[in-house]
Amino acid sequence: MLIFRKALADVDRPQMDADVVIVGGGPAGLACALRLSQLIDEHNQQHPEQPLPKDNIYVLEKAREAGQHSLSGALLDPRSMRELLPGFEKEAPLDAEVVKEAVYYLTEKSRFKLPITPPPLRDHGNYVISLNRFVKWMAEKVEAAGITIFSGFAGSELLLEGGRVIGVRTDDKGVDKNNERKSNFEPGYDLRAKVVILAEGARGSLTKQLVAKFDLQRDRNPQTYGIGVKELWEVPSGKISAGEVIYTMGWPLSTREYGGAWIYGGKDNIVSLGYVTGLDYGDPRTDPQHVLQSFKKHPFIASLLEGGKLVRYGAKALPYGGWYSMPPLAGDGWMIIGDSAAMLNSQRLKGIHLAIKSGMLCAETAFAGMQKDDFSRAQLETYPEKVNQSWIKDELWKVRNFHQGFEHGFWGGLFHAGLQQFSGGRGLRARYGSKAGHQSMQKLDTLPADGGERSQILGEARGDGKLTFDKLTDLYHSGTRHEEDQPSHLVIHDTNICNTRCITEYGNPCHNFCPANVYEMVETSEGKQIHLNPSNCVHCKTCDIMDPYEIITWVPPEGGGGPNYDGM
Amino acid sequence: MAETILVVVEQREGKLNRVSYETLAGAQAIAGEMGWQLEAAVVGSGIAEIAAEIAAKKVSKVYAVESPGLAPYTPDGFVAALKELISSRRPRLVLMPHTYQVRDFAPKLATALASTLISDATGYVKDGDRVLFTRQMFQGKFSADVSFTGEPPYFATFQTGSFRGDQAAAGDAPAPVETVNVEIADGVVRNRPEPAFKEAKQAVDLTQAPIIVAVGRGIKEQKNIEIAKQLADLLDAELAASRPICDAGWLPMDRQIGSSGQTVAPKLYLALGISGAIQHVVGMKGARTIIAINKDADAPIFEIADYGIVANLFDIVPPLMEEIKKAKG
Amino acid sequence: MKILVCVKQVPQKDAPLKLNESGAWIREDVSYEVNEPDAYALEEALRQKEKHSGEVVVITTGPTRAQQVLREALAKGADRAIHLEDPAFVGLDAFNTAKAIAAAIKDEKFDLIFTGLQSDDYGYAQTGVILAELLGWAHATIIMHIERSETGIKVKRELESGYFQYVEMPLPAVLTIQSGINKLRYATLIGIKQAKNKPMRKVTMAEVQSAISPNLQKIEKLYIPHKAKKTVMLEGSPAEIAKNLVEKLKNEVRVL
Repeated sequence: MLIFRKALADVDRPQMDADVVIVGGGPAGLACALRLSQLIDEHNQQHPEQPLPKDNIYVLEKAREAGQHSLSGALLDPRSMRELLPGFEKEAPLDAEVVKEAVYYLTEKSRFKLPITPPPLRDHGNYVISLNRFVKWMAEKVEAAGITIFSGFAGSELLLEGGRVIGVRTDDKGVDKNNERKSNFEPGYDLRAKVVILAEGARGSLTKQLVAKFDLQRDRNPQTYGIGVKELWEVPSGKISAGEVIYTMGWPLSTREYGGAWIYGGKDNIVSLGYVTGLDYGDPRTDPQHVLQSFKKHPFIASLLEGGKLVRYGAKALPYGGWYSMPPLAGDGWMIIGDSAAMLNSQRLKGIHLAIKSGMLCAETAFAGMQKDDFSRAQLETYPEKVNQSWIKDELWKVRNFHQGFEHGFWGGLFHAGLQQFSGGRGLRARYGSKAGHQSMQKLDTLPADGGERSQILGEARGDGKLTFDKLTDLYHSGTRHEEDQPSHLVIHDTNICNTRCITEYGNPCHNFCPANVYEMVETSEGKQIHLNPSNCVHCKTCDIMDPYEIITWVPPEGGGGPNYDGM
Repeated sequence: MAETILVVVEQREGKLNRVSYETLAGAQAIAGEMGWQLEAAVVGSGIAEIAAEIAAKKVSKVYAVESPGLAPYTPDGFVAALKELISSRRPRLVLMPHTYQVRDFAPKLATALASTLISDATGYVKDGDRVLFTRQMFQGKFSADVSFTGEPPYFATFQTGSFRGDQAAAGDAPAPVETVNVEIADGVVRNRPEPAFKEAKQAVDLTQAPIIVAVGRGIKEQKNIEIAKQLADLLDAELAASRPICDAGWLPMDRQIGSSGQTVAPKLYLALGISGAIQHVVGMKGARTIIAINKDADAPIFEIADYGIVANLFDIVPPLMEEIKKAKG
Repeated sequence: MKILVCVKQVPQKDAPLKLNESGAWIREDVSYEVNEPDAYALEEALRQKEKHSGEVVVITTGPTRAQQVLREALAKGADRAIHLEDPAFVGLDAFNTAKAIAAAIKDEKFDLIFTGLQSDDYGYAQTGVILAELLGWAHATIIMHIERSETGIKVKRELESGYFQYVEMPLPAVLTIQSGINKLRYATLIGIKQAKNKPMRKVTMAEVQSAISPNLQKIEKLYIPHKAKKTVMLEGSPAEIAKNLVEKLKNEVRVL
């Protein structure tokens, strides 16, 4: 019997007043907090008679510790960090400056090096980082600045009043599998805030509530996503140097799927590699974790990893949609920053610098709001205006049609990308449309039973235990852990669909697209039935995005649960 | 004169704890390898019989440390008695089993003699004229070889199962038993223990079970748990499971082995229909002997099993139970 | 009652641990958390305080990062904290750790000191007992229940194989607390906020240096346990396999 997490009734909730609540302690949220603190410090120095307080500015972070759920390649374009903390390079945890880069097109056995690295993928001047360590470092800065990070607390609901966001409810703790209170039950707080800043990352659960409530996506392109599945390896020295960057396209994806791989050399012989699979693939049997395993079997990649050892594993969705998919960034009592607002350059595969910049601009608006005690839509809309006037717009405008161009395959995508490169991003049309990725999924009866040219990415990977791994083994290396006795935080609104229609129509793609073995179809006396392992979840949000019937909602589990992305 | 190892065997309420033989076997091995001599001690009141039992083993001497003040066990009493013995006999190395009782007094004893204890060792390494002790760290993720850097006497305790008790060699002739009467002065013993009692534990502590029969997905249906339970009863084993079984509610959560359950290291782990996902294996790979029955020849459990049987567990378990019954007579 | 709780910061259970260059310790750039048994010790202290009133003080040793476990304890309700702050504390053996703690609290008057029954990193299960000996206090280990008695306290010790025992003992005393003795509470937002203003006393290595001595034991080498196992596959008819297996159970595994 599946029991899903739901809001508990008749709970006497503690209240707490806040000036600013930032939901999510990632690069965007922490940059926002830091910038806000800087502005307040400056103000208080200039106006000691009217100081602004910092003790009512809070960051909510669902991980046990900021950074634990942060996963990226990662390459950092230092532009925004230099603005936020000039000279940050001297103290931030940076693995290496990029010294060497190459782009390959892979076929099953061969590789073709692009003679020149396309300008968007030129990375000299960028840094290879562990986003986990970088975020941890940022969190220390924020705490040192006197802003409280509530780690282990998720935002579970937005508090609304007459079209305004008036706060955030944190997660209830100590709720058992049946949604009953345990002896150590601790109700979530109602954090009543003058402004709520959503910095939840891709497919944020509160952002999703907000977008749905106010139909914010109505005149935008639907948001589109990819899922990055990543492994961290320790390899023998000499295999790849710190600061070496490799991108590949092609194998094991066919030309119909969007995606590609990265390989970054970090310090101490650590290699970050991962494969981003566009969440708009056609074959429901596509398994992004399998994609990464097949990728590693390519002779070129296998030789890089030979003699090495898997250290860590993880997965996370990233927003591809770009400029035209960006939701409105501000309204009454709320603003959206970072990946939650699609601040990602899909052509350069980079979003950290944009997330940070958006957080900084948002902080300026929040600061002005604190000065005037005005957090109305009119005031908060100065934030999107700042975005429009900033280099965020310059950068994202150029690639506004990039990902949409690939919706009909790789070669068409290259064609559009080429055109866009020479037309300032315009390409054939001023605005390329888009559809939600799950709509691309095809029914099983239209597809070859053996998978055809895609058999290497379909279904579960077996794994040899050395170079390639089955999903459970990979998952173990995510370090994910949750309180076991709690209701499922993967909320399926109609499990009948899973157990009947979906079996025949799509063959339950959930167990393929989930990189963490959360979803399983189990043989029972009544036939195949959906079974959930919620504590395996790595919080990637893919199920919420890719389920073809849109019946899965990802809500935050009890705060503190989730992966341990040490070094990722 | 050769150096001496002193093994303090454990008695509880006048009975020898058999785990003491494991420590004795380990001590005999060290003594043999280092060319040291081996003595044993038993502490308590009315312990002559236990001393005689130990004297049958290959040791050069047994001390029966006697005092009415040593029953029942208290850390104050045992430390006072052993401090006296060790101060006068000056062994180089004092070895004990890592039991709850020893954990209770051994650190205090070492401290009282301004020395140190390497606790919970699983083995030893000869390193020239030194003996290093191997112990697990970080919950078994690493092993460490640890040396003593101060002055003797050195103390170490061995984890249950580190040596085989049945390999503690017998002596050619009974060793001499020296009764050491110690006086426990008034006021030394501060704790007043009541008799031990057994209680149905609220939570199952699988970590203490010497034999575990564990079931996995291969058990197929809830009603089949019964067959595993029968086998467990026959072997005086605890029943445990991999995660999917507890998830399904077929066995309670506190019988789950693995990264989200308990970590165990029993003498025997019998895995029925368990594939051996790493999440499960981390919880049981420390078992002394692993027997796996699984119908999938590629199941990873076979990589860590000592004995593997590729078969349907329902074909094997019934005849196995018959054979066990026969063997038990 | 005035209770001191010793808490330790250890690598998170799921942290990817790697050896450092010395080969005798891990690289410390991983995530940490409070040693789980210590969390139960803290919870028990808070419950005792709720019952009998008094004060709960938490103490830890370790680098700056270790402050996190003190902050968490303060957020859950501890009154104040003591931090023996220096990276070098991590390398002390149990004997010296106990000596450093004893030195740091020499001007305090506690009725009870609680520790978890062992740590998830070293796993010594010794520091609390050594501390009792250094202070000259009574102690009891692996405690499942605590109540006040006329002359001190009455505790329930866990013994092996499902046995337990009640022990009467005087105060002051050191108790090592068994995991599962209680149900842990969660920190609350208000608790976290208030914790920022609770007192935290820092003690430097220099202040306790004179109390400690060179370590008496040393990790020579840390390594991933190697287990060379050879799997013997038993084949034949089910009856043959069963027979064969029982032979092994009798003669090799020796459980029959």
